[in-house]
Amino acid sequence: MGNEPETNEKITAVKTSGSSFRNELDGEKLYFIRLNLSERVQHLIFVICFIILVITGFMTKIPKNMVNWFGEAGNIVFYYRSMLHRTAGVIMILTSAYHIYYLLFKPAGRRLLFDMLPKVKDITDMISNIRYYLGLEDSPPEFDRFCYKHKLEYGALFAGTTLMSVTGVFMWTEQNWSKFLIDISTLIHGMEAILACLAIMVWHLYEVHLRPHKFPIDHMWLTGVIDEEEMKEEYPFHYKKIMNDPRLKKIYIRS
Amino acid sequence: MMKHCRRKSAKAKILSTVFFTSVIPVVICFFFYIGIGFAQSDVAPDEENCLFCHRYPQMGRYDETGKKRVFYINEKMFANSVHGKLRCKGCHVGLDTIPHTNIEKVDCSTKCHIEEPSTNKEFSHINMIEKYEASVHGNTINGKIKAYPEDLPTCKYCHTNRMYNPFMSIWGKSDALSNETLARCVGCHTEEQWTKRFYAHFTHRMRRRRSQAEIIALCTSCHENREKMARHGLETIETYKDTFHFTQVKYGVENAPDCIDCHVPINYSTHYIRPKTDPTSPVYITNRITTCSNQGGLKICHPGAHAEFARGRVHAYGLKAKIAAHNDKLKLPGQTKDLMAERAQAEIENKEVFHYNVLKIIRLFYQILIAVVIGSMVIHQMLDYIRTKRKNKKHH
Repeated sequence: MGNEPETNEKITAVKTSGSSFRNELDGEKLYFIRLNLSERVQHLIFVICFIILVITGFMTKIPKNMVNWFGEAGNIVFYYRSMLHRTAGVIMILTSAYHIYYLLFKPAGRRLLFDMLPKVKDITDMISNIRYYLGLEDSPPEFDRFCYKHKLEYGALFAGTTLMSVTGVFMWTEQNWSKFLIDISTLIHGMEAILACLAIMVWHLYEVHLRPHKFPIDHMWLTGVIDEEEMKEEYPFHYKKIMNDPRLKKIYIRS
Repeated sequence: MMKHCRRKSAKAKILSTVFFTSVIPVVICFFFYIGIGFAQSDVAPDEENCLFCHRYPQMGRYDETGKKRVFYINEKMFANSVHGKLRCKGCHVGLDTIPHTNIEKVDCSTKCHIEEPSTNKEFSHINMIEKYEASVHGNTINGKIKAYPEDLPTCKYCHTNRMYNPFMSIWGKSDALSNETLARCVGCHTEEQWTKRFYAHFTHRMRRRRSQAEIIALCTSCHENREKMARHGLETIETYKDTFHFTQVKYGVENAPDCIDCHVPINYSTHYIRPKTDPTSPVYITNRITTCSNQGGLKICHPGAHAEFARGRVHAYGLKAKIAAHNDKLKLPGQTKDLMAERAQAEIENKEVFHYNVLKIIRLFYQILIAVVIGSMVIHQMLDYIRTKRKNKKHH
């Protein structure tokens, strides 16, 4: 946390990276960093791998008459399917491994891990947020850096990736294991895939694409920053924490 | 003069040499070539005069069951088919009255008056039929006729003679390819009809006639019939269709395993399929490693198959496992119920029942998890959407 030179480096990295997006940003406003460069790159790799894995994975599940629509093309794609699926899987596993290293050994990562840990506030936040949705409260709770939605999603992603990786590796090396283990792996891999896909579609894509003030897309995944107004609205607790702490100001406010 | 004459005759000698060594062979070759072109006759001599009636394409009728029966014979196609050299009555025994009242079903084990070239004996399909009768699809067991023998496939059920189909499907996928190959044969084997027949027979035997998908379509034409299978205490083939093996077949992967790859021993013909309880069956428990690794076969399957891997269940758990797990007879009709329960008890071990239950619990767990998690997510996001919209309205 106290590693200021590195933090500054990160900030400069943010500044220099998304330059095309920076032009859109207003010089007068305060911008708060939500994702640093490393996190954005990790996210991007994950997105690409995820899409490839979903397509190449669900290809095996579609019924025969749907396969017939593809004709010859399906045949060719299927030839590369297993290779693509495994390649994307390996890249995803490596990214996840790097992410764990990042969480444990990088100051920004450790901050992320610390902020991501579940707290009692999350449960009370969730209850009062749902009360707010139902009109029982006038204003939503004051969220910290990561709210209960983020924490649930992150947890699900962590568990899901672990399960998919382990079962995937079992299936890859199937001839070495008992068929029962392979059956379990196949079942879990398939079911978890359905769960993950639906969760991403309902939870994550809504959050970043369909929410009324985010539509059509929240640029934060590329710029890494949000403006002061949005920060006050979405993460007021974190905003107050930053504004009252000069050390956090240095970390989170884009200079 | 003499000298002149002698010189002339020398010239003539040279000319005649040239004439005899090159021109005549060329001319002969030319006529020979033309001759081949004209001499080809695709029509078999119809000694029995069956074509007197049967050459008319409209010939046929609807039989008692409403099935359309075509009695038309395309001379050219028949002549080029594998049976092209046979007389009609060689297989269609009887038929000596008109209209034909004494019709007997064609028996493929009949000895036809063709010489089998390796033994010079009369040819018959009896060898294959004997092998087939001993297989799981044969209609006798220990000398007794099986129950429901009409369910079992006869020769013609699988061997649908393709002589009425266009040539392309007989020769192979590419017409040009077979024509080019045939042209090479015809160079020496000038009797074109014979050559085509031989070529058809030979290329037919060189490869599998049906693709994996076609094999599966053929096998499932019976093995997907619930009633028919239940009569014999068998499950339908859906359990295979749940496997990754079938997924590959769906996409037309050449290496994909169909029914034959696992159920016919390597280096045996399809007529050899045995029940899995038979020690010679490739799916018999001790033969599994060889089968999964496809040792000696053409496909690349699981080369380093571990014993535990090979011993496992290939088709998904189906009805029999369900019966064994619930220890009941489910809602099956009469005799079927007992047969199925009997087979379930004999074939599904306790270990497999345990596996079936574990998989069932995992599936159920995920189904509930998905429904609950995704359901609450949808509700949550819908609430969010409605609330945000309402708030925006207030602001404006």
